[in-house]
Amino acid sequence: MTPRRPDPYALLPLSPAVFHILLSLVDGERHGYAIMREVEARSGGEVRLGPGTLYGAIKRMLEQGVLEEAGERPAREGEDERRRYYRLTALGREVVAAEAARLERLVELARAKNLLPRPGAA
Amino acid sequence: MRGGGPGRRGRRLVAAGEAVYRALLRAYPRDFRSRFADEMALAFRDASRAALEAGRRRLAAAWLRFLLDLAATAVRERVAARRAGALHPPLHPTTRRGDPMGVLIQDVRHGLRALVRRPGFAAAAALTLGLGIGGTVAIFAVVNAVLIRPLPYPDPEQLVVLEHHAPGLNLPDLENSAGTIRLYRTHARSFSSIAVVNAQERNLTGGDRPVRVSVAEVSPELFDVLRVQPALGRRLLPDDAQPGGPRVAVLTHAGWSARFGRAPDIIGRVVEFDGVPTEIVGVMPEGFAYPSDETVALLPLWVDPNGPFGTFGLTGLARLAPGVTLESAAREVEQLQARIPEIAGDGGINAGFLERAGWSASVTRLKEEIIGDDVATALWVVLATVGFLLLVACASVANLFLVRAEARRKELAVRSALGATRTRLAAGFLSESVILGLAGGALGVLLAAVGVRALVAAGPAQLPRLHEVSVDATVLLFALALSVLAGLAFGGLPLPRYLRGPLVEGLREGRGDTGSRERQVMRKGLIAAQIALSLMLLAGSGLLLRSFQRLRAVDPGFRPEGVLTLGISRGERDGRNDPTGFYRRVMDEVRGLPGVQTVGVTNALPVLPRGINGSSFDIESRPRAEDALPPVAMFAVVGPGYFETMGIRLLEGRPMEPRDHEGEIPRYVWVSRSFARDFMEGRALGERVRFGTDPDWLEIAGVVEDVRMFGLDQDIRPMAYLTLNTRTVNVNLSVGQLVVRTAGDPMVLAPSVAAAVRRVAPDVPLTAARTMKQVVAESMAQTSFTMIVLIVAGTVSLLLGLIGLYGVIGYVVTQRTREIGLRIALGAAPGEVRGMVLRQGMALSLVGVAIGLAGALALSRLLESLLFGISSRDPLTLAAVTLLLVAASALAVYLPARRASAVSPMDALRTE
Repeated sequence: MTPRRPDPYALLPLSPAVFHILLSLVDGERHGYAIMREVEARSGGEVRLGPGTLYGAIKRMLEQGVLEEAGERPAREGEDERRRYYRLTALGREVVAAEAARLERLVELARAKNLLPRPGAA
Repeated sequence: MRGGGPGRRGRRLVAAGEAVYRALLRAYPRDFRSRFADEMALAFRDASRAALEAGRRRLAAAWLRFLLDLAATAVRERVAARRAGALHPPLHPTTRRGDPMGVLIQDVRHGLRALVRRPGFAAAAALTLGLGIGGTVAIFAVVNAVLIRPLPYPDPEQLVVLEHHAPGLNLPDLENSAGTIRLYRTHARSFSSIAVVNAQERNLTGGDRPVRVSVAEVSPELFDVLRVQPALGRRLLPDDAQPGGPRVAVLTHAGWSARFGRAPDIIGRVVEFDGVPTEIVGVMPEGFAYPSDETVALLPLWVDPNGPFGTFGLTGLARLAPGVTLESAAREVEQLQARIPEIAGDGGINAGFLERAGWSASVTRLKEEIIGDDVATALWVVLATVGFLLLVACASVANLFLVRAEARRKELAVRSALGATRTRLAAGFLSESVILGLAGGALGVLLAAVGVRALVAAGPAQLPRLHEVSVDATVLLFALALSVLAGLAFGGLPLPRYLRGPLVEGLREGRGDTGSRERQVMRKGLIAAQIALSLMLLAGSGLLLRSFQRLRAVDPGFRPEGVLTLGISRGERDGRNDPTGFYRRVMDEVRGLPGVQTVGVTNALPVLPRGINGSSFDIESRPRAEDALPPVAMFAVVGPGYFETMGIRLLEGRPMEPRDHEGEIPRYVWVSRSFARDFMEGRALGERVRFGTDPDWLEIAGVVEDVRMFGLDQDIRPMAYLTLNTRTVNVNLSVGQLVVRTAGDPMVLAPSVAAAVRRVAPDVPLTAARTMKQVVAESMAQTSFTMIVLIVAGTVSLLLGLIGLYGVIGYVVTQRTREIGLRIALGAAPGEVRGMVLRQGMALSLVGVAIGLAGALALSRLLESLLFGISSRDPLTLAAVTLLLVAASALAVYLPARRASAVSPMDALRTE
């Protein structure tokens, strides 16, 4: 395959699972279980990823060049098991920002139709 | 961390789950697996451990989620891999050896297709298995919660209960007195701490109307013994339990939830127990249920360090010191009994007295004490029962498989001719049966989830720890293992028969089917086994049924029909405040209701007694020698009209009259037939007796019929009936049971009776009204529960066995049509042919019956403790069950036999 830089907008809209995974990696690299935990905590328990869903998404995102592997190392000092860490690529960062912007525009639209309270009005 | 965290068992559970998960990961395509399987297993382990911290229920939920996640995404990845593969087809067809999972998937797919082709067969097999697995899993959930799972306290095996026994005094089980506690606290080295507990009921006033609640007075050591600290506030401290100390209480979580809606500001609130203002200082964590599920609060108990030896009734709960075994603790306690005379101090208690009383002490593990031998036996019997049923179900399905094998010989032959190895063929069959097993297991878990709820709702109230029963991770793992094992068992059993011998034989037309005879032998063996198991189950059901009948035929000594009872809780303080006047006003009000015939009151109902006490007594005319054992009787307090209302016959003397209950000083007492017989050679009238340390000599004014106070299956014990104005200190007058004899259905009157009591005593808690028949039924609940499970299992297994028998004999007849036709053509009468087939079928069933009888006799001892008034080898029951099975199998055989005798010789020969 020839490495061609894809258009971030071509990947939108993202599925909620993918969006959450990307968001969880914005702060830095994480291993798989850390992503699961972060997503569950950030969504208030609403989004719970099973290992199958998580790694299925990771596989596709690796193929799309949104994520990249950041090497293997133990999660805590003194632990035997090495965990594989993942981080966003530059493209990944663009994609997640583009999705956030897209959602923001949708929220604006909803506000304009008085579906939501305006910020500061409450 | 409560309970010391998930612990070793928890880690093992997670490790087992991870192993299963790793195996299941093979459902993903190879490429995906090689990249992510290790990572996924790690994530699974981390997530499982985190879930376990929040409890096993949470773990079960997480695993269920992961399983669904795996199933859905594995399919997705496989589809994706195939699409990718279709774009770049491999140069060589998949090398099977390199991807065993691919082969397995193919086998599974093949198995699924085979099952889908015959949905009736698949549904019948899955349903049969589902019933068997569901029953087994449901009962296992109960056994797991009640018998296997440890008590929810740290190092629960160190918790023991101290008890005493004095059979010579007619007191087989005594708990502890201040004296025995002093003895052990001073001298015993086996215990790190000893707590004293006294379960009671109190009227709790916190809201608008007082309620009757269970509480426990506990010595502050309880928190050290159980090693559980409050979730909120503080524990009870030694200062709380001093005479004149602060009035404080620690609520249980259940009490906090039910009575105070989990109010966060509960600490410091003042409520009233029996009218005594009490400050709430703490709340125990969720799951703490000691001494019972119903306990609402723990109140401080002061044990007088100089208290008497002779007043028993305190529960002694201790924790073994580190390294001390139950046996060595029991030895030490037994040795300490020799020091009782020096502890007792008061007169008459010397070594000779103890010996004549048959005095002994025992140390029992708390778990055994909570559960009790009878419950454990009943549960194991029920689990064995459903286990048998599962075996029968497996045998049935194995038989279905054998029948199919006949039909599939040709398919097998073709596949083997095309190059399939025997291993591949076997894998195909096994994957088919394991799929069926898993389908049955899934159905079974659903049934079990429903069943567990029904069991918890319908289970006998005496079943301890019932609230802990649930389908948790352990139970799910058990179900999974059971399903796979069942699948392998019924799939593997017929396997050697399928695959032995030249498979290609199957391609030949005609009858040269050499394997057929062997397969018939195996099928017949399975049928005989089913009949044997059915007979064992039915024999058990029959024995329990007869016990139940005997139990119902026992004369309780009173007439429960048409009697309504209602508990009136006046509380400890009010109970002694003019009971005569109070109950007279209540009974007058109730007696005026239409439909009410007579009214009475007692502090202890027959059959399910609470608040009944025993006491030694003196007989005026027979002074006792200095060190002779005093006679001991049980006593209840009853009001006027009690004997008439309950239908307890007066044998001698005069009935109770209202004036007997009035006045400061009680003068009369009524006694039971066995009291008069055992202590006065039947001439009791006019004798005067004095109970315990009472001031009053009471004259026996009447003798009434014996009543089964302690349950229909319990021995009769001598009873004395005291009047409401009794001054005996031992008696508990806090709860009165109103008994009302009515003209029609007693429950119809329940609301108006309750309303009438409320008019007299608006602030007094009432318990729900019950009929005496309900009370009697409740006392038999454990027997009827075990019996119903056995009867259902026995009936289902009989049906499965009969269907199998019918199928086998019918098949034999079809196979032999030609031979039978020939016989008829050669002049055999239809009767002879019928006889021949019948003989063959019945021989099979009789073999099963014989094995079953032997098994039933061998297992009969298991049931012994559950039976009443009947031997576990009761010949009549065994004969009846045998007859039933023989008759039923005769019917199952007769139908094909009749078909055989109707064979037309011409048709039979033409089929060739």
